[in-house]
Amino acid sequence: MADAHELTKTKKSFAAVGIALLVFTVVTVTIGLAPIFDFGPPGPDGMDFVLGLAVATVKASLVALIFMHLNHEKGLIYKILLFTVLFATGLMVLTLFADIDPIREQFDTLQTTRGWLTEKP
Amino acid sequence: MSAATAHEHAEAHGGHDDHHEHHDPFWKKYIFSTDHKVIGIQYGFTSLVFLAFGFFLMMVMRWSIAYPDRAVPLLADWPWFQAWLDDGGKVTGDLYNMFGAMHGTIMVFLGIVPLAFGAFGNYVTPLQIGAPDMAFPRLNMASYWLYLLGGALMFVSFFLPSGAAKAGWTNYSPLATTTDLHYGDLFWTGQTQWLVAMALLISSSLLGAVNFICTIINLRCKGMTWMRLPFFVWAMLVTGFLLLLAFPPLEVAAIMQLMDRLAGTSFFVPSGLNVSGMAFDAAGGGSPLLYQHLFWFLAHPEVYVLILPAIAIVAEIIPCNTRKPLWGYKTMVYAVMVLGFLAFIVWAHHMYITGMGPAISTFFQTTTVLISVPSVILITSLLISMWGGSIRFNTPMLFATAFIPMFGIGGLTGLPLAFSLPDLHLHDTYYVIGHFHYVVAPGTIFALFAGIYHWYPKITGRMMSSKLGHLHFWPSLIFMNGIFSPMFFQGMAGFHRRAFDGGKAYEQISQQIFAEPNTFFANIAEMLHVIDADAPLRMIDLNLVTSGSAWLLAVFQVPFIINLFLSVFIGKKVSSDNPWNATTLEWATPTPPPHGNFAKEPVAYRGPYEYSVPGAPRDFTPQFETDPSLTAGSEHDSEPSEEIILSAH
Amino acid sequence: MEIPYEVTPRRDTGLYNAKLGIWLFLASEVMLFGGLFSAYVFMRLGIQDGVDNPWPWGVSVHKNFVWLGAINTIVLIASSVGVVFAWVALKERNWRRYQIYMYFVVACAVVFMCIKTVEYNSKLNHHHGIKLVDNSVMEGTILNKTDRISFKGEKLTFSLNGALPAVLRDLEGDAFPKFKVTEGPEGTVGVEIQSLSQFKGWFADSRRAASERLTEERKRFRGELAGGAANPKPVSVVSSVTLTAAEPFGLSGSPRKIVAHTETALNYKDGVKVEGKLVNDDVLFEVHEVDLQLVLPTKQRDSVVWSVINDEHAKQQFFTSQSKKYQELLEYYKKHGGVIPEEQLRGRFLNVQYVHVAAEGHEGEHGKEDKHADVHTSQSNPTAGGGEGEGKHGPSKHIAVARDKIKFMGNHGPRYGTYYAIYFTMTALHGLHVIGGALVLLFFVVFGKKLYLKNPEHLANRVEVGGLFWHFVDLVWIFLFPIMYLL
Repeated sequence: MADAHELTKTKKSFAAVGIALLVFTVVTVTIGLAPIFDFGPPGPDGMDFVLGLAVATVKASLVALIFMHLNHEKGLIYKILLFTVLFATGLMVLTLFADIDPIREQFDTLQTTRGWLTEKP
Repeated sequence: MSAATAHEHAEAHGGHDDHHEHHDPFWKKYIFSTDHKVIGIQYGFTSLVFLAFGFFLMMVMRWSIAYPDRAVPLLADWPWFQAWLDDGGKVTGDLYNMFGAMHGTIMVFLGIVPLAFGAFGNYVTPLQIGAPDMAFPRLNMASYWLYLLGGALMFVSFFLPSGAAKAGWTNYSPLATTTDLHYGDLFWTGQTQWLVAMALLISSSLLGAVNFICTIINLRCKGMTWMRLPFFVWAMLVTGFLLLLAFPPLEVAAIMQLMDRLAGTSFFVPSGLNVSGMAFDAAGGGSPLLYQHLFWFLAHPEVYVLILPAIAIVAEIIPCNTRKPLWGYKTMVYAVMVLGFLAFIVWAHHMYITGMGPAISTFFQTTTVLISVPSVILITSLLISMWGGSIRFNTPMLFATAFIPMFGIGGLTGLPLAFSLPDLHLHDTYYVIGHFHYVVAPGTIFALFAGIYHWYPKITGRMMSSKLGHLHFWPSLIFMNGIFSPMFFQGMAGFHRRAFDGGKAYEQISQQIFAEPNTFFANIAEMLHVIDADAPLRMIDLNLVTSGSAWLLAVFQVPFIINLFLSVFIGKKVSSDNPWNATTLEWATPTPPPHGNFAKEPVAYRGPYEYSVPGAPRDFTPQFETDPSLTAGSEHDSEPSEEIILSAH
Repeated sequence: MEIPYEVTPRRDTGLYNAKLGIWLFLASEVMLFGGLFSAYVFMRLGIQDGVDNPWPWGVSVHKNFVWLGAINTIVLIASSVGVVFAWVALKERNWRRYQIYMYFVVACAVVFMCIKTVEYNSKLNHHHGIKLVDNSVMEGTILNKTDRISFKGEKLTFSLNGALPAVLRDLEGDAFPKFKVTEGPEGTVGVEIQSLSQFKGWFADSRRAASERLTEERKRFRGELAGGAANPKPVSVVSSVTLTAAEPFGLSGSPRKIVAHTETALNYKDGVKVEGKLVNDDVLFEVHEVDLQLVLPTKQRDSVVWSVINDEHAKQQFFTSQSKKYQELLEYYKKHGGVIPEEQLRGRFLNVQYVHVAAEGHEGEHGKEDKHADVHTSQSNPTAGGGEGEGKHGPSKHIAVARDKIKFMGNHGPRYGTYYAIYFTMTALHGLHVIGGALVLLFFVVFGKKLYLKNPEHLANRVEVGGLFWHFVDLVWIFLFPIMYLL
């Protein structure tokens, strides 16, 4: 890292990532607000969520890889983070499945109450 | 902080001239110390005090269970108890709930974890890896003081008008959210203070965990490769990761519950909640289940935080006293890593009766059964390690030996709870209490006693009395079993853990309705075996056995306390730095170890458990000794090249 | 004593202590925010239609704030870039440039927090909602804090066993009313209390005395029991006191602390009873929006909300707008060949409409055109606040809502629903991280010169570690912004 050439290169990549992040921010806002991303019927849209999170993930990886220089970090840190992400995902997914159980859903009496609206305005 | 930076430099220089150290004022050397050994001792004392306090709470509860219609002796005139005992001096339900909740909290978070991880981990780990101190000494100090602050808050909460927390050590919402809400100042209620104190304890544990992992990874001395780490250090590493990754979700839960209580949010408040017949004033829409998930995501790994250091202490003591290597060291290391991993995906087996679906129950049953495999590997390895050894039954070894069957009983009785069907019956009965107390009380606590007896000569330079040790061990073993084994029978008969009268109410009801069999209460009464006055021992009489054993157990802790304090002054002085003829690096230090630990830079030349090596001059070959007669024959051990020394696994 | 690898990395792990430490800390932070994001997902997906409050649609809650959120995102990105350049400057041993970048970063943090304050202030002080007994919701502004119950108190009754009565915090005015103890345990009757401090002292003394009397009584009771008395005299200690005020005092009782109230009495949760005379318990409200998501469509026309608003024009306005949107939906699904799914019919799009209740005398200004204008504003700007649309419609009437018609009310603070709860919790926790990180970075630049002169590499390491934390804070915001503000 000490040599000047290397540092200049690093600086350039930092600047490039900064600009990319700004662009992606604009993209995120556009997805949320602009009608061209409304794929379904009028009103709020589930598709926005997927797109918005995808863009956020790209942004997050840019920050992690370049700014936090994970891209040339040692394997040890990768191992720690791998398990962390694994457990965090486990927490999210398993918790969710405990609520929406695929077998129980078939017998769920709540189903009938959930669909209590039958009439149209 | 600039002062702190300056301090750091002073400290860096301090190591070079011993002269400087002698002039550290008392408060800096023993109170606000950054030395891992002093901090370890601080942790040790504080947690022993909390253990004693938690035990006291339990003894009061046991009175209420054994003699629900008699006044509590000795306590009825204490001013504090006026608010919580009834007119006749009997324990009220509120008091029982408060003591029950705080007994659990104090024992787990303020007693055993700090003693196992904070005290032994702090004292022994850096010594065993040949480090001068922890990687972040000041963080270490902060960790202790946060712990002490959290503990103090827990203690102070007893003296608030609302009393301490009463919603169980699990603090389930919405019960915990809605308790004590009628007090004017919500912040200063026991339930809120529990959350605040937990937040402090969690922060303390996080700092500790970061510090431990960092120390173990980065501060191993020359030659201390991964597979030369004593098993204790491995267990500390895995425990560190458990704390590091499992505690934050509980912190989240604590923050959310704090918001629920103070800011009126509805994280854990479902729609349409009624409290005492009135609609609860909150927006609703939250989920009590979410709290349980977040809580058990910590609390199951926490169980392994309680157990792993215990197994690790025993794994240090057994090879030393059988004069044999630890059997299956590598297997144990891998087992402990698998255990650490699996610990994160079994948590919902505490929640089978919350209405989880069968698919997810199956998943958690499977992982729960899987996790018993590495546990059994660990215990079996310890057992086999003893096979054929010439065992020295000194006090630490007695406790370590007792640990194995006690932990075994605790572990095996857990199997029925791992399956959702038997759990429906056993959930919240004394069976569960018996199960986890066997793991933690005669299990972990015995191992911790063993550790105290084992490392005491290194810490103080004097041995603890062996006679008092025996007087401590045998009654403790008997009464521990006297307390917890009846619980299995009571639990299977259906005794509920939260009945503050120990099932007396059922007995009375059953006498009134005895004429009408097959009614609801009559059936329950029959199930509890309380009707049949002719039976030689009714289930409800076991309450007396348990309670009596508990009080006697307390009596036989007195020899230990005497031993612990008096031996500092009158114990037999150790003749060498390595009184047990052990092999690991902590015995290479001067006794007691000075600030900075080692007299000369330690190097690890071999694995941690080289006992009775064939051809060696003695029956132990310490890690830190280079032995020319041995190195001639063996491979690269005497002066290993840089490469080999530093090759990390 | 020197701890090894404080500055130089260890060869086999390739890390110096602090870097390993911060990564471990960040791992625990990932679990912390992981837990919070899990809670977000769990609560958002766990909503039962028609039972729980619907999750507000991000854009509509944050209409006025999307741009603030976006600006904050940009501010944080800029600060992240600043940190890495500061680190590079240190590597190049350029102190001056390092200083500039670091101060820039701290300035960004300050800007971020200021914008956050604007957001919080607006939510907490200007946006309110009232849920009526049939689950219809009105959004708007509660005026003059009248969600409090106004009361003229004469007598206070409370117990000496508990904590200080909560009612003391609800007293109006600065002067503490003059009390005289009219009923209570012997020794306290007749005492006059002039000030709050005197009250506290008296309360503490009386509480201690009551507790001592209780101890005595119980001793006697247990003694008699032990002596074999079959029916000992039961323990009885007077611990309830009544204070009568010299003249009626003003109270504005917080409804959260009051269990029930009548024309002549307030009952506080902590057991304190205030007797006197109710002044007014209506809530003055300015309606901006009516939300009928929790009301069955067949019952929407008879909803309680219309009788509360009592304005035929506003009601028409709601249903005209609703049917127009329904047509839109109908057309869409006809074109694509399908039936409108339930969630669309139940959703916010149809059942939340802007309404304007004109103040007296402004009724006439509303022609048919205006109504359509309302519909349009409501569509392009589905609004929770609607504050800025006001100018176009003339002043609003302030309606008085009777308290017995209200099921739940509050500002858009964390209490208002699970969305607001998680929004405030997560953003506040993130804000704390911003403050903490900024303070550490500020420390590195203000007090870093000495270390820089001694060992610049050490300082560079510190900045790298601080920077790692700062990037993590940025990273969390990258996810928070879309899920809280946009989607």
